[in-house]
Amino acid sequence: MNAIPLRRFLATPAFKALLALLLVLLFGLVFHGDGAFFKLGTHRDALRQISVYGLLACGLTLTVISGGIDLAVGSVLALVAVFFSLASLHWGWSPVLAIPAALGVGAACGALSGTLTSWGRFQPFIATLAVMVIARGLAKTVSGGEKVSTAVQGPDGTMRYVEVPPVFRAIDSRVLGENLAVVSLILLLCLLITWLLLARHRWGRELYAIGGNEEAARLSGVPVGRAKLAAYVASGLFAAVAGICQAAQEQQGDPEAGAGYELTAIAIVVIGGTSLMGGRGGVGLTLIGMLTVGYLEKILSINSVPESTRLILTGVIVALAVLAQRSRR
Amino acid sequence: MKLFPVLIGSLSLALAACNPSVPESSAKGEPEPSTAKTFTIGMSQCNLGEPWRAQMNKDVEAAAKEHPNLEVIFKDAQNDSLKQRGHVEEFVQQKVDLLIISPKEAQPLTEPVAKAMEAGIPVIVLDRALLGDKFTCFIGADNVKIGEAAGKWLATQLEPGAKIVELKGLMTSIPAGDRHNGFVQGLGDAPVEIAFDADMKWLEPNARKEMESALARLPKIDAVYAHNDPGAHGAYLAAKAAGREKEMIFVGIDALPHEGVAYVEQGILSATFQYPTGGKEAIETALEILAGETVPKKMVLGSRIFTKENARAGGEPIG
Repeated sequence: MNAIPLRRFLATPAFKALLALLLVLLFGLVFHGDGAFFKLGTHRDALRQISVYGLLACGLTLTVISGGIDLAVGSVLALVAVFFSLASLHWGWSPVLAIPAALGVGAACGALSGTLTSWGRFQPFIATLAVMVIARGLAKTVSGGEKVSTAVQGPDGTMRYVEVPPVFRAIDSRVLGENLAVVSLILLLCLLITWLLLARHRWGRELYAIGGNEEAARLSGVPVGRAKLAAYVASGLFAAVAGICQAAQEQQGDPEAGAGYELTAIAIVVIGGTSLMGGRGGVGLTLIGMLTVGYLEKILSINSVPESTRLILTGVIVALAVLAQRSRR
Repeated sequence: MKLFPVLIGSLSLALAACNPSVPESSAKGEPEPSTAKTFTIGMSQCNLGEPWRAQMNKDVEAAAKEHPNLEVIFKDAQNDSLKQRGHVEEFVQQKVDLLIISPKEAQPLTEPVAKAMEAGIPVIVLDRALLGDKFTCFIGADNVKIGEAAGKWLATQLEPGAKIVELKGLMTSIPAGDRHNGFVQGLGDAPVEIAFDADMKWLEPNARKEMESALARLPKIDAVYAHNDPGAHGAYLAAKAAGREKEMIFVGIDALPHEGVAYVEQGILSATFQYPTGGKEAIETALEILAGETVPKKMVLGSRIFTKENARAGGEPIG
């Protein structure tokens, strides 16, 4: 009785993704960096460090399942980080105003990607590539090419310093007796929302259908354009949340922030086992992929492994994880 | 938001233009051709995305503003050697009177610059060197000396047995290698130890991550030496999150007004060592070249240390 569900579980993408994660954790048990791996703080930090990437991966899970991709997430992160820092640090906006406005900026970028994809008939790769470049340019423009920090330059060239606003401190603090970073909590919340949308909401099923076969979905009455647009808007929103978290953790808005983050986020989604062809996968897998990448990075870091070796090892793990996903479906 | 400084800038430029700058040349006792004639300078920047390089352009612009007969055209190659080569060729076609270039890398840009020289355009090379000698003047700072100054200064601040965390720039880049080697030389025989080092690729978020690992590994850290100020700031944020920022001091390099100097003034960093952009010196040298004077082939810029005590006064030169 028990054997069949077990065997079935062993064949699921979730198990295969877990295998990669376990391999990485085993790695940590062996190379523990003078015991650093056994400290609670190391795990808390690993979770904090992967949170921003994880937020981007939430959005990417949605667009990838719909058969698309969102390359713009890293740039949108930068644009929102710059905007949120300008609003909070330089213009003195209250978070009640700054956070919704920042989310609006992200949603607008997502809406642009979605409109180009759904009604402009752009391939998602091209549409989001365009938005990626535009958002980066906007981030550099509104920041004047400089990091937006607590040092505010007056018109006469003198510098004044503003306090790091409470909202920055709050996002970069910890809860549960200092054991969980607030950004990780935000990530968990976003994962939960993504899961609810994908697994329990009509829109989620529509995305799977579109990713599986867009024409078939259209013919069976799925509002393809609207559902896809919503996926890109959601991706923009998650990128905006990531941007807010990035700004709070850096205490500044860096127009160069998030460059290359989209690739890490895509790697997370793929390592989890969500298919880049669309139609298959889920946010639970993304969570596993996230932990795999996060722990790998952390373990390499506590052992102060040189950068060159890190690149090779990361690439090898990505390849192995994808290989494991493919074996014997 | 940026309109105000621009307005003031153009206003002062207009004022300066109205102001006849004759007294300057008459003071020297001979009519200077450079004040009578307008010169166009091409400034080819390899990557304006780096704040330090943005500062370099600002320094060039500010210095050029003092001289109404200079017009500077800026081009940004966005970290692309071929794009920068294109910019150099554009400047040659445009027949600028002088070229300032801060090259991305030596090999691909040596020849284009040599061609500019052949076309009769004097070239000032800023910060990164080219191969051979087909340029007029090289202006740059010495990262080994700056790293050494940081090491020497830190050695005086620390007790015997102190543990240092070194957060390196991209170790395949020459500045990071120099800042590391200089630092080790500067520490000399001081009874201190570099107990943890990591490559943070010049990026603040990476520095924070690596510092968290250092904090997990080492029960006590006395100092953090980062190869740039954002790195030191990232380390500070990590230590602060762990409640351990009071146990150690933080030292960075670059001392940009918005970054390192601001951090020192806020008490986040104990010291930062300036890596001068040479923007001002480039314009001064350009004026000399345009006036027909001979200039040295190589100029090494001095550095300054900024601490809480002297930051507002503009730091102090190091030996």
